[in-house]
Amino acid sequence: MLRLAHLNKVYANGACALDDVTIDIEAGEIVTLVGGSGCGKTTLLRLVSGLEHPTSGTVSVDGEAIFAPHPAIGMVFQEARLLPWLTVAQNIGFGLAHLPAGECKDLVEDALLKVGLAGYGTRWPRELSGGQAQRVSILRALVTKPKVLLMDEPFSALDALTRGSLQDHLLALWDAHRPTLVLVTHDVEEAAALADRAIVLQPRPGRVFADIRVELPRPRDRLSQDFAETKRIIMNALDGSLSQPALSKNNAGATAGSWW
Amino acid sequence: MSDTQTIAVATQATPRKQRGVPSFVYGLILPVTAAALYELAFRMGMVEARLLPAPSRIAETLLKLARSGELSVHIAATLMRIAFGFGLGAVTGVLLGVLTGSSITARRLLDPTLQALRAIPSLAWVPLFILWLGIFEPSKIALIAVGCFFPVYLGVMGSIANIDRKIVEVGRAFRLSRTALARRILLPAILPDTIVALRSGLGLGFMFVVAAEIMGASEGLGYLLVDGQQLGKPDQILASILCFAVLGKLSDWIIVIATRPLLTWQDSFARSE
Ligand SMILES: Nc1ncnc2c1ncn2[C@@H]1O[C@H](COP(=O)(O)OP(=O)(O)O)[C@@H](O)[C@H]1O
Ligand SMILES: [Mg+2]
Repeated sequence: MLRLAHLNKVYANGACALDDVTIDIEAGEIVTLVGGSGCGKTTLLRLVSGLEHPTSGTVSVDGEAIFAPHPAIGMVFQEARLLPWLTVAQNIGFGLAHLPAGECKDLVEDALLKVGLAGYGTRWPRELSGGQAQRVSILRALVTKPKVLLMDEPFSALDALTRGSLQDHLLALWDAHRPTLVLVTHDVEEAAALADRAIVLQPRPGRVFADIRVELPRPRDRLSQDFAETKRIIMNALDGSLSQPALSKNNAGATAGSWW
Repeated sequence: MSDTQTIAVATQATPRKQRGVPSFVYGLILPVTAAALYELAFRMGMVEARLLPAPSRIAETLLKLARSGELSVHIAATLMRIAFGFGLGAVTGVLLGVLTGSSITARRLLDPTLQALRAIPSLAWVPLFILWLGIFEPSKIALIAVGCFFPVYLGVMGSIANIDRKIVEVGRAFRLSRTALARRILLPAILPDTIVALRSGLGLGFMFVVAAEIMGASEGLGYLLVDGQQLGKPDQILASILCFAVLGKLSDWIIVIATRPLLTWQDSFARSE
């Protein structure tokens, strides 16, 4: 459904951020991209979003090539990036300008209700906590019902407690329309909590190091043995990606069950 | 989402009307007390009020000027010059500031010249303006316009340079057209700085209207100053200065009040007092 084929990205300054990255993602799948800093996670998302162009290779959604921001693709940035001069409700409705005001209002209020922010519509972004702002920013991307939602370390600036609750909110929102979700994180726990697939990238240049299937049932029990095991597998791959310079073929395609 | 809706939400969201003493009363304490003390000293014969007339004397002069209709003629003349000069300077300042702020080519082409012109003290233009435009209104308005232009130009150009690239990217991610991007993101982003720039431009407008009127005018508050000096009437000079103070404050206040609904979202230190 979402296909990244042989993506290369060399920045103008010569930095090679991505080297021959090929990933196929199915509709409704939740993929977490894990990797150390500088391994091209942000670059990868920006290529998929159409905000940036690959040096070579293609991104396509349902067979349609992506060259520029596309209505089927929503983006949540690392910072909430709310527009400070719009109220919370207006921020969420930012991508709904084409709809009649009444319809837009209903969608927004419905969305606020789902993430526990009912009644916050008339507030200003400056009056929100970090976690609340990030929820609003997720809603802004989701109310337009994109087929693909991209998220770049959306919870990395939040404390662990808030992060956990936002992950639950995110799963609930995802469940309503089941968009394809690609979420960047450097937090192994987050990857294990959310992913159907955890893809580990290695740095310099950015490549796929391991593609780990997580087959734990939802809702996931974070205290269970299986969850700890999944975390360990992802952590191991991450360690490997940071120490090992070249792609080792037998890492790719491993699943949580068959790793050892 | 219409702009009127934005404003309606904005004004209702922050109920900032406090009860009790309006804040401008605090601002009046110092000048009113000083005036009262001086008046008292004058009444008790402690000061010799030939050069610094008592407040009551100034009020009397003002009243006389107002009754004879002279005052409104002078005020109207001064305000008219400022309106035209500030209007001209502010509009060109905004236009050129937007142009150089948003286009690198335009900035490379225009900004060095404009910066060089800015280095010239504005009053140095006066002889040239008089030669070109004559001694009447056009040369005065030109001088005021030059004075208002630079702060507005610099402020608008700077505000565009300061726009957060990350927020512009939100607009791109939502596939806004160029005009929609300008209207929904760039304009609101530069608004606060632009308003500050307009206020400082207007302030300079008052400065240059005095200069223009001192150099030769038959009416206007600046003319009252010169006339008062030549006829040895310090009360008339002070009356005129008082008018300048009130008009300057009032016009700045009008800008602040008129634009407040657009800026309720801000939470700068000055607003949260
Ligand atoms: N705009 C840019 N210009 C030049 N180099 C960049 C740019 N953005 C990222 N890079 C480089 O590309 C590499 C990957 O960066 P990034 O995608 O931000 O990694 P991550 O998000 O995984 O931390 C880094 O080496 C970084 O220095
Ligand atoms: Mg990053």
